[in-house]
Amino acid sequence: MSGIGRNTSVLNIVISGVGGQGVLTLAEVLSRAALRSGHNVRVGEIHGMAQRGGHVVCTVRIGSGAYGPIVDPGSGHLLVGFEPVETLREVHLIRHDGLIVMNTHIQYPVAVSMGEAEYPDMSVVNESLHRFAGRVIELDAMDLAETAGSPRSMNMVMMGAVIATGFVPVSREIALEVVASSFPGRFREINTRAFEAGFSAISAAMRG
Amino acid sequence: MVYNRKLDTCDAYSRGLSSQLGGSILVKAKELLEDAVGKKVLLLANEAIARGVLEAGVRLVALYPGTPSSEIGNALYQMAPHIPNFYFEFSANEKVALEVAGAAAVAGVRSMMVCKGPGLNVAADPFFSLAYVGVRAGMVIVVADDPSMWSSQNENDSRYYALMGSMPMIEPSDPIEAKSLLLEAYEISERLELPVLFRTTTRVNHSRAGVEFGPIRDRPEHVSFEKDPYRFVPVPAVARKRHPWLLRQMEKARKISEETPLNFIVGDGDLGIIVSGVAYTYVLESLSTMGIEAAVLKLGMTNPVPEEKIANFLRSHKDVLIVEELEPFLETHARRIAQRENIDVRIVGKEDGYFPRVYEYSPRIVMEALAKITTCNTPIDWTNVEERKRSLPALPPRPPLLCPGCPHRATYYAIRVATRGKAIYPSDIGCYTLSIAPPLETADILFDMGSSITTACGIAQVTGQDVVASIGDSTFFASGLPGLVNAVYNRHPIALVVLDNRTTAMTGHQPHPGTGVTGMQETVSPIDIEQVCRGLGVEYVKTVNPFDSLAKLVAEVREMLKWIRENHAPAVLISREPCALLTAAERRRSGESPPPYYVDPDLCTACRRCLDRLACPAMYMERETGKAVIDETLCNVCGVCVDVCPKGAIKQREE
Repeated sequence: MSGIGRNTSVLNIVISGVGGQGVLTLAEVLSRAALRSGHNVRVGEIHGMAQRGGHVVCTVRIGSGAYGPIVDPGSGHLLVGFEPVETLREVHLIRHDGLIVMNTHIQYPVAVSMGEAEYPDMSVVNESLHRFAGRVIELDAMDLAETAGSPRSMNMVMMGAVIATGFVPVSREIALEVVASSFPGRFREINTRAFEAGFSAISAAMRG
Repeated sequence: MVYNRKLDTCDAYSRGLSSQLGGSILVKAKELLEDAVGKKVLLLANEAIARGVLEAGVRLVALYPGTPSSEIGNALYQMAPHIPNFYFEFSANEKVALEVAGAAAVAGVRSMMVCKGPGLNVAADPFFSLAYVGVRAGMVIVVADDPSMWSSQNENDSRYYALMGSMPMIEPSDPIEAKSLLLEAYEISERLELPVLFRTTTRVNHSRAGVEFGPIRDRPEHVSFEKDPYRFVPVPAVARKRHPWLLRQMEKARKISEETPLNFIVGDGDLGIIVSGVAYTYVLESLSTMGIEAAVLKLGMTNPVPEEKIANFLRSHKDVLIVEELEPFLETHARRIAQRENIDVRIVGKEDGYFPRVYEYSPRIVMEALAKITTCNTPIDWTNVEERKRSLPALPPRPPLLCPGCPHRATYYAIRVATRGKAIYPSDIGCYTLSIAPPLETADILFDMGSSITTACGIAQVTGQDVVASIGDSTFFASGLPGLVNAVYNRHPIALVVLDNRTTAMTGHQPHPGTGVTGMQETVSPIDIEQVCRGLGVEYVKTVNPFDSLAKLVAEVREMLKWIRENHAPAVLISREPCALLTAAERRRSGESPPPYYVDPDLCTACRRCLDRLACPAMYMERETGKAVIDETLCNVCGVCVDVCPKGAIKQREE
């Protein structure tokens, strides 16, 4: 082996949320679908402490230029936010021409419930997000998940949303196949409905 | 009030593991067992290591779970009953695991022990002896270090164990190497008759990539132990012969290190870079992003280092960057070799401030060092990004917390009320350390696994203050027993609360000796903590359920403290209730759940007692009214908040 070619072909996706929302599962399902579609994939996760209702961030990197798991500040193409404040917490990772897909359902941190910290107004969240990224698309993924049959399917709503952005080189068919095969039978139907709901919501927004 | 308290333990654990790990682990374990050579599967490096166990023909694996290594055990637990001639156990602790696995390799079968960085500290005693006596079949000790301390109490660099103990060491850089280098490690171990330290870091363990399956190797059913006491019993006369033997083996290991394809050079240029572990991927990305030409010496075998290879590399470059996380391990070797060989080279690393000695690295850290040494710009203006980040509004923190419905919250609430927050609260290692956060604030001192009991002894002796220590069930069995013996025999006046949630929760719900399930998924008699305490001579032992009644729980803590003051001896209160995540998983499986709780807004006076003192993450304040609300999607239906409300405003819906 000799020569390290100049190769910057990589799509950087950052997924940010609260432990328990299914962030790790989305990263796994999304990257399985990318591998199934014939792409090189790297996923970065943090387990343990992070899963106890705390802030969780995951990275999915697709393309021949992906060697390691980390997405540096200013290099993310797509930021998938499961919660407004948690989206804002990782917004420095996004490129100025990047896209943010954000679930608008708020999950109040305990510090806010205890009155020790303020939850920022949504207008402030929006204005701040726009300072980092060209485009922000919002959806109420919790509402869509509940309609699909379970609040726990929210991550599959987000999966549908991510595929609908067209940023990820994975077809809707392969994504659906992987969603169906990743879970035991009884969750399959709800997860598929959740995926479709997220996909439709973002398809409409991308056209608009 | 409490629904389905008597969880069937066996079922709860096997399902607990699967349902907590993303729901898809069942599919994964089946896939990991497939005899499908050439199949490419998306695997976590930890899962790739579990697959490597099959491909290397490993006969026995023993471990105590510890993040970031935990998923190795989780995968093997799911796989174990389906692998012929294979034994897997969750050992009581890491020292036990290393001794069990070490003996199996001495007997003549391939074995493995797995731990996190601090776990190797627990196993340090057998570690050093094992290198002296050596092994008859391949043995690998996997140690997962945790730069940035994502889930550890320190970021000690375990590579020095290999140096200090004279043990060959291998460091993979990604999930693909996690399996391929593991297979190499077993070959090297058998060539040298020495265990091999297989050192990973969080960003390797918790990365995923497509990993290609290789053939599965058969395992022998039994071997017979051939006696050779003058090798395997290191009394001084034996040990004195074994140490020179070990050094001779390490000289052979150095020759392997010189020749192995695990240590290779890629690229060329005036600039040289020596790198190991995950930092290798950051170096490759940095060079290609910045378009810099460099020769990279990638070391997969880092003890012993390839002395001649490094010397030649240093000779052929004017500047050599050493890129490695944590301590300057390779850097010190490079400087030593340059001095000994009288090589005129500029070595750039941590000692002159180009790279940090703390926390994990990123491509950015490598690019910033490259920009500095080549006097060019970084591809992204990170100063500008940081500036814009600072301009963001202050965000409410969201640290990890005890889950909604966590039985520990009720127990700590009671401990705090009973002692008015004035006792000293030695804590231990597990989810319950999260009680450090307001409003519970019941973690005052912590060193390591089991230290709650022993630090309580030290504090009680010299302060005369009330001391209420807490320890989890798994930690109690892992490292609590000697401390408890010490407390009983030396009559330390301490209160110990055992938070028995029937599992090893923090690392992902592995069984332990108190659960009644083994690593082979067999049902056995659980070891009863109350009986253990009595057997060790604790005179005051009681078991309570934290969800019975908060007032009763407070009274129990007070009574225990009174007894300690009168008797000047240790007392134990066991607070027993399964982990909320197990209970929730069981409810999802059965489809039956108790009716939800809600706050009656007509009775709530917005006094904030529940929000301020219990601080359950499933409760929040309605912005307009200031009254408490329960988020039913988060609530785990424990009902503890009912007892906290002075107005009786929290109610359970009718069926």
